[in-house]
Amino acid sequence: MDKMQFDKHTSTQFNAELEEARKNLMQMGGLVEQQVEDAIKALMDMDTALAQRVIETDQTVNSMEIDIDEECTRILARRHPAASDLRFVIAVTKAVNDLERIGDEASKVASHTLELADTGSGPQGYVELRHIGEQVRLMVQHSLDAFARLDADSALNVLHQDKAVDLEYGTAIRSLITTMMEDPRSISRALNVMWSLRSMERIGDHARNVAESVIFLVQGKDVRHKALEQVAAQVKKG
Amino acid sequence: MTLSNQYTESMDDNAISKPESRHPVLENWDGTVGQALVEEPRMSARSVDVFYGDTQAIDNVSLDIGKNEVLAMIGPSGCGKSTFLRTLNRMNDSIDICRVEGDILLDGEDIYKKHMDVVALRAKVGMVFQKPNPFPKSIYDNVAYGPRIHGLVSRRTELDEVVETALRKAGLWDEIKDRLDKPATGLSGGQQQRLCIARTIAISPEVILMDEPCSALDPIATARIEELIAELSQNYTIAIVTHSMQQAARVSQRTAYFHLGKLIEVGETDHIFTSPSHKLTEDYITGRFG
Repeated sequence: MDKMQFDKHTSTQFNAELEEARKNLMQMGGLVEQQVEDAIKALMDMDTALAQRVIETDQTVNSMEIDIDEECTRILARRHPAASDLRFVIAVTKAVNDLERIGDEASKVASHTLELADTGSGPQGYVELRHIGEQVRLMVQHSLDAFARLDADSALNVLHQDKAVDLEYGTAIRSLITTMMEDPRSISRALNVMWSLRSMERIGDHARNVAESVIFLVQGKDVRHKALEQVAAQVKKG
Repeated sequence: MTLSNQYTESMDDNAISKPESRHPVLENWDGTVGQALVEEPRMSARSVDVFYGDTQAIDNVSLDIGKNEVLAMIGPSGCGKSTFLRTLNRMNDSIDICRVEGDILLDGEDIYKKHMDVVALRAKVGMVFQKPNPFPKSIYDNVAYGPRIHGLVSRRTELDEVVETALRKAGLWDEIKDRLDKPATGLSGGQQQRLCIARTIAISPEVILMDEPCSALDPIATARIEELIAELSQNYTIAIVTHSMQQAARVSQRTAYFHLGKLIEVGETDHIFTSPSHKLTEDYITGRFG
């Protein structure tokens, strides 16, 4: 299919409505991406003020979710979109939902940061946190890029990245369990680190969902719950 | 899938004067996309061309209409969808300058063969038009007209039964059973259209062709007709031409998209309206023409 042209409808008003939805989604995406970046930075630097800001931002993200969903409902009701327009509206609704959940997970990381700060201990020594954090932040960024550029190949890359994150997450959890067994005094701290890791891993999952929505939008294929190799083959077919 | 152009060459050789192409933008067109043929066709069109004088209105269309399926034909004005529909029961015969080439089969029988009984054909392939066109007779006589002239019934009680069944199937019986002898022209637009459908099914056709049957009706009457189409499809094969894409999406199992006389794409309706394969189909159903 040729590149989608959302600005080529006979109705310029319809063009404007779709463009508005796209713009708002990207704006929300930018905000959520920043939230993830800040949450990880706050955790690594034990910056409680920044962690607090991350939690506060979540309200803005939530209200953006509602606004964009309303916009999509309006488009469905008034325009009866079909084909790529329909897939676009569906993909936006799903992506908005995932972005909001990413925001929630970022807030959770920020809450764990505050708890760690309360106990006076940081996550120093846990290199996996920084690494996984950076990876999932990039996943969010790449999935949004893929959405903006309607690029199924980039979206597929996010799916590959998610697999790598899942593996790394498993390793990190095993190492944390070992730490807890060796030094029971570290359990409280280790649990906060573990929950933070869990949130990051979930952020990766949601970024993957956004990427799957992009593949659906661009190629009309539902690739959810399929093996990565299978998805890769489908995406390559075009 | 790409359909073969097996008839095109011989047609060009035999044509008295080669028609001018009306389709400059489609010169690089490489055949219908999607599943044009089905396993159990009721009607089959193969490499059909239709000309009005020197102008080609339909260009090498091959398409099946499956048994008991509702096939919707959509496309911009002048794309040939109505022309194609009319070739299916030879309604184009009444236009002197109209010429049909290729094969159109009903249950495997060529409907354009010599000595084909066109009246019998139209009894098997009925048609409902855009504007309700009841005869200026009573409601009863409108429905009874077909069975009478085709000699389908011998006794009055039998005829009464046929009329009632047809009106019931058309969802009109309860509304008009007390005024069967009143003029049909006194009915509302939606009722008239359902009467026309009752008139069509009174002679037990195999196929019902509908040419924008709801374009003159309000949304409620339209919904009734669409409901009726769904019910009728259990017993009849239906081909419907519509300008309303939502209607095509609602009533049909398969959708065919025509553009400038060519069958661009045909496939499952769900597929056409979510992920059409051809750019022209996509542009049309998303309103990107202009």
